[in-house]
Amino acid sequence: MYKTDIRGKLIDGEEKSLSQISQEILAPIDAKTPRWWYGAMAISLLMFAWGARSIYITLTVGIGSWGVNNTVAWGWAIINFVWWIGIGHAGTAFSIFLLILRQKWRTAINRAAEAMTVVAVFCAALFPLMHMGRSWLFFYVFPYPNTRGPLWVNFNSPLFWDFVAISAYLLISASFWYFGMVPDFATLRDTNKSKIKRAVYGFFSFGWTGSSKQWLRYEGLAFVLGGIAAVLVVSVHSIVSTDFAASVEPGWHTTLFPPYFVVGAIFSGFAMVLTLVTLMKKLYKMGDFITENHVDAVARVLVFISLIMGTAYITEIFIAWYSGSEYEFYTFFKNRITGDYAFQFWAMFICNALLPQLFWSRKVRRNLWVVFIISLFINLGMWFERFNIVITSLSKNYLPSSWAEYHPSMVEIGFFVGTLGMFSAGVLLFFRYIPQIAISEVKMVSKFNKQQTTHLKPGHHHDYE
Amino acid sequence: MIMNKKYLVGVFDSEHTLIDAFEKALEKGVNIEEVYTPYPIHEILHGMKTKTRITYAAFFYGVMAVALLLGGMYYAAVVDWPLHFGGKPFNTFPSFIVITIVATILTVTLLTLFTFSARSKIYPGSKAEIIDVRATDDKFIILLDQDKMNVGKPEITELFESFGASEVYEKETEKTA
Repeated sequence: MYKTDIRGKLIDGEEKSLSQISQEILAPIDAKTPRWWYGAMAISLLMFAWGARSIYITLTVGIGSWGVNNTVAWGWAIINFVWWIGIGHAGTAFSIFLLILRQKWRTAINRAAEAMTVVAVFCAALFPLMHMGRSWLFFYVFPYPNTRGPLWVNFNSPLFWDFVAISAYLLISASFWYFGMVPDFATLRDTNKSKIKRAVYGFFSFGWTGSSKQWLRYEGLAFVLGGIAAVLVVSVHSIVSTDFAASVEPGWHTTLFPPYFVVGAIFSGFAMVLTLVTLMKKLYKMGDFITENHVDAVARVLVFISLIMGTAYITEIFIAWYSGSEYEFYTFFKNRITGDYAFQFWAMFICNALLPQLFWSRKVRRNLWVVFIISLFINLGMWFERFNIVITSLSKNYLPSSWAEYHPSMVEIGFFVGTLGMFSAGVLLFFRYIPQIAISEVKMVSKFNKQQTTHLKPGHHHDYE
Repeated sequence: MIMNKKYLVGVFDSEHTLIDAFEKALEKGVNIEEVYTPYPIHEILHGMKTKTRITYAAFFYGVMAVALLLGGMYYAAVVDWPLHFGGKPFNTFPSFIVITIVATILTVTLLTLFTFSARSKIYPGSKAEIIDVRATDDKFIILLDQDKMNVGKPEITELFESFGASEVYEKETEKTA
């Protein structure tokens, strides 16, 4: 249970009235767009343009424009796909797990985490789509009675499971995010001075009034979605990991993969959340809502997950030796810890397992700059982890005659940079046009920030206790 | 036909004053039409006595989805287009579970959302019947329908004010009946 004396205040600064909470969170929507925003948007769009050009080349020339070859058939695309999906995992993990665990501090961060999820899953979905080669025939993946038989898709294939899981995840996280915003859009509709904004946000508020009947069903909906989406968080990345684990490649064929991937996904997602909230805190002065305690709490979660990651890495290495399988041994000892890809392995190990250990120190957790930098390094480390898994196992497996090296081509690099641009553009639009923090939820927990009044009778139940 | 509806609106500044007045009014047997709040308050949801069956609906969707998915995959893999994989059975049930779980979650989510949308009238283009615009910001509103009021207006006004209502006013809305 949340106790304020353990975690500190939920809302910093002078005690805020409910309307102050609305005003302060909604301020960026009415404020003049800051100059840095235009600069950042321009850079994002340039990156996106490079990505669009790379996609154009991929579509017109084909996968031959990439650096993949017969041996390393899964290159950059799958690395980045898994990386983005991992980042996309935190939004729902944040909302759902912390909702189930009744953690009130989630209210300041969940909106940003969910927004990030939706954009990240869009970025992720582009990679398998392009890797299909003839992307315009992507609808062949759908199991529908077709003119080819009817020939059905293979319901036993993890690749098809993955398709189902990712589509489900995208739809569910987007609807979860949107319906969370409906009451806030209604607040905007009712408080904004501009007629145009009132009309636009009024449309998006879908007729919300805040009546007890609406809230009752809304809570019922949140309960249902929260309960089942928690299963989804675990299942989606487990399925991504079975794309690998169901194969016979050395280094992939392990039962450790599903938990390892799920934890890794939440790890990178939380790191990205940390990156975003530090930006919100600094650039949008949301410091009263996203307090040092919030950053501290996320950092503590990261220390814990980092230990699990370290354990997973060491378990893999130990089993590679202990199993007595020479292929496993070769992959881990000659092609990861040492060998051509040692840099990627150690980058992963240091960024994910060692660097976050700095968060044990309260001083580090409370230094926003250091937190920001470590969060970026974790994301880098998680990228190297996926590189490490995909490339080292594929490049040198059972037959030395089919060994090959992999280097990404400029088209692949451009594609990745393009998705980075798409992500940052999406996040910038979110910062500018959408309430960054769930207003109604912050209002709901704001009463826990103050001394209780004498009006509160002992018989009263209070939510979230 | 357009009818004018008369309402009595009690405005409160805080959750606690609202809850106290609300519970007192319930005790007196006042017919409360609706309560508007900026965030959900469980005492109110409980006291209004409306029940939601959305969780039952969700469960029903789930059972339906599981049956359809498993049935559909069985049909595809066994009846419609059986394929030999080295003597493995056509009905590879355990590996159907993954899709069943994920697609059931998707079905339940979407259908429950649509149910919520339809029942609460929350959909694109739905027009909000706003009683007091401040209800989504910082005020807590109790709404009484004057036609259904069983306790006198002055009495209720006094009751609300004694519990710290910042405002009690009358409102007429045009309602199509």
